[in-house]
Amino acid sequence: MDAVTYPDMQVSNFIIDKLVPLRVPVDSPLAGDFKVTWTPTLVTLDFYGKEHHRTVGFLSPEELVPSLILGMGKTDFDSGDFNDAIVHFNTLLNGYPRSAAAPEAIFLRGVSRYKASHDAGALKDAYQQLQAGYPESEWAKRAHPYSLL
Amino acid sequence: MAQAIPWENDLTKALARGKAEHKTVLLDFFNPG
Repeated sequence: MDAVTYPDMQVSNFIIDKLVPLRVPVDSPLAGDFKVTWTPTLVTLDFYGKEHHRTVGFLSPEELVPSLILGMGKTDFDSGDFNDAIVHFNTLLNGYPRSAAAPEAIFLRGVSRYKASHDAGALKDAYQQLQAGYPESEWAKRAHPYSLL
Repeated sequence: MAQAIPWENDLTKALARGKAEHKTVLLDFFNPG
């Protein structure tokens, strides 16, 4: 991460603008609190310290930024701020549609739209988008029941 | 030239900044080598 990803200008600008970056060695007590056993482990926290998203292992610059956006969206999603979550998921999907984070963003955007509107069509739309663009993803499989709506 | 990321190293301070700046916190556990 130090050699490739963090020196990338888009990555560093994104982190500086959008997040509070905190770095802790894996042999610190905090790593035990979060049950971290391997590096790099990246955790997205809300300002109460509650975890909402985690990745383990190297991420390229092209994958880190969408993963961070996914974490921001999941923070809003878990807090019930569904319209704010949708904004983050849209940002991810418009900017990084082929990233590894994209299928989960489609799934959670569909759920967010449903939670905000109570329109079950949002779930079926998410299923159809996953089937069309990411049919082999685990999120397409998880969305399969929505095909029946 | 990319800006160096100004990492915090204290959780309490980072959470306080997150609250004040309405930002989520990115916590990176790294191997100091």
